[in-house]
Amino acid sequence: MSSFRKDDAGKIHILFTSQESHVLINLVEQLIELLGGESVLQSHSSEVWGHDDDPLLRLLGVTGSDAPPDDPVLRRLLPNAYADEQSAGEFRRYTEDSLRQKKRAHAMAIYEALIPQDEEWSADKPLDRGSIEVSLEQTEIMVWLGGLNDLRLALAVRLGIGENAPNIKEEHQKYELMKESDPMKAVYAVYSWLGWLQQSLLDQIL
Amino acid sequence: MALGTVTESESDVDIRPDRPWVCVVWDDPVNLMTYVTHVFMVIFGYSKEKATELMLKVHNEGRATVASGTREEMERDVQRLHEYGLWATVQRDNEF
Repeated sequence: MSSFRKDDAGKIHILFTSQESHVLINLVEQLIELLGGESVLQSHSSEVWGHDDDPLLRLLGVTGSDAPPDDPVLRRLLPNAYADEQSAGEFRRYTEDSLRQKKRAHAMAIYEALIPQDEEWSADKPLDRGSIEVSLEQTEIMVWLGGLNDLRLALAVRLGIGENAPNIKEEHQKYELMKESDPMKAVYAVYSWLGWLQQSLLDQIL
Repeated sequence: MALGTVTESESDVDIRPDRPWVCVVWDDPVNLMTYVTHVFMVIFGYSKEKATELMLKVHNEGRATVASGTREEMERDVQRLHEYGLWATVQRDNEF
């Protein structure tokens, strides 16, 4: 497995295998779509979704919605900021839009680092693109940490991490014992890999 | 939180009457301990020691007050913590 490494000049690099970058690209695309930015992949424009075409609301960053998202993954990625629903809803109306934009920006940075420039990437393409080297500027480290973390949170919600097992060890054993044919076993493997990847980046900076 | 070693610790967040609102971070089983520490260092400018103490408090006690100040300041902090996937809320400091 590839891990982040620091070179002599202190710059952080990673060499992803084509399979690793393939998995990461797929996950990041799904995250961007979930956050409401399918069109972002084509146009990079943040104006095309979410608003009711009210220029004032758009200017103020108000989404108009004070209800938490229906999707459990989005509820985890965009959590309530207050325990009481009224304050949480009020805060959400004014801030959820910019929170979504920040998270999309994190995911987009990972996506763009993995897609060679000017190349139209498609999930149908064969996995023969070779390995991909990514170098991180200082300012990009938090972006990657945040983006990887959002992917882990999203998968954890889908996996029900923390809901059924009292601790990480038992959680791990539960998936270890699963049949190979269980699709959740593969999801858990990806979740574990992302944690390992994120830790390898943290190890370079702490 | 996932992974890492656990030791006992106390936090020393500045809570005074003129800082009536607090930012609380809640434990979750996904965020890596070193990640939470790093986020505290970056967002609040805390030393590694202080950030680690707060992270352990979250981990051991299920939650920790990580900052205090005006409501607006705490909302800004919570928003930034949400940007990085931590589970944080704003509340008055007497709500515990």
